[in-house]
Amino acid sequence: MSDDIDNTPEDDEKFGLSLPTGNMAEEQAGDRPAIEHSQEIDQAARRSGDKYKSMGWKGIDDDEPEEEDDEPQLSFSNKEPIPEDELDMTPMVDVTFLLLIFFMVTASFTLQKSIPQPPAASDAPSTNVVEEEEQQDYVEVIIDQNNSYYVTTRDSEEREAPSETEMRRMVKDAKDTYGPERIVITAHVDATHERLIAVCDAGQSSGLKIEVKTTDLEF
Amino acid sequence: MSTDTQITLKKRKENPDDGELDITPMIDITFLLLAFFVVVSKMDPQAAVDLPKASFGLSVQDKECVVLIVAKDESGSTTNVYKGRSKDPELAISAASPEDMEDAVGNYVQEELSSHPELTSILIKAEGNVRVGDVETVKRGVAKAELSASRQIYAGIKEEQQ
Repeated sequence: MSDDIDNTPEDDEKFGLSLPTGNMAEEQAGDRPAIEHSQEIDQAARRSGDKYKSMGWKGIDDDEPEEEDDEPQLSFSNKEPIPEDELDMTPMVDVTFLLLIFFMVTASFTLQKSIPQPPAASDAPSTNVVEEEEQQDYVEVIIDQNNSYYVTTRDSEEREAPSETEMRRMVKDAKDTYGPERIVITAHVDATHERLIAVCDAGQSSGLKIEVKTTDLEF
Repeated sequence: MSTDTQITLKKRKENPDDGELDITPMIDITFLLLAFFVVVSKMDPQAAVDLPKASFGLSVQDKECVVLIVAKDESGSTTNVYKGRSKDPELAISAASPEDMEDAVGNYVQEELSSHPELTSILIKAEGNVRVGDVETVKRGVAKAELSASRQIYAGIKEEQQ
């Protein structure tokens, strides 16, 4: 066995061929373990290589990107870039909204609504001569001491308006029917200011010129 | 092992960020509320004048007017006239009679218009429950000031949509 085995390499060296001449079974049996060993070694190496590669890939995937990419990103992102971006914008937006709200509120302050009032008439007798007009071109509204409205138009006698809404409607009807230019308001001094303003508002809504007279004579 | 500790460290680093991000809007809202209430508290003395309501008022620049406030006191018995924009008792015009009130109002309006010629009108902010006669007294006082002859008189109202 040993001689044959020793000879075979010589034959191999002569012919450059591998072992077909002799003991096929022994040669095969002798080669198989070597192949199996080599395969085992290869497989073991592959396994270990896979293991190392897999470990190494994991380690490379985990370590290198994290150590080289993540940690610098974390360290820089936590300290420099993100604070500069976010902390610069956020207070600016906040202050902007604050200023917006402030000016909105103060703008609503300065808007004072008002109704123009004719200057007060004195108690002195008027020197103006008023001609008796055939066609009444005004609406007369009387506010008595009990805060009741009495509306006199061209077409109707003095009528009491049971409510402020009714008074507004009567003034508007008079404006629509014969187009008066003025509203003459006669208010008792004991009437409340809000009633007078309501009549002024009714005249203002119809575009009438407002005249106000006050009296302390009871109606 | 080293990667695990690094990951946990990162998570620990992210948690304080979440804590900071929770505090910032709270501070913002706090300042917003503070500014809101500061402004609202300034509104009160002006809004304390219970102006009558009307829907067709004109806009008047408050700063361009000589402002007079006519309001009843807390008991509702006597009517006071105030110089300026608030019902400060120190600004109340004291007068024994309607004639004295007319003179005092006329003097005040004359002083204001002579020292501030840029004021274009007179604004009378009278509360709704004031007698017409008392407002008329103030109007006559305004008419006594010579410089008020060329200036428009306004009655302050609170706008209300109908």
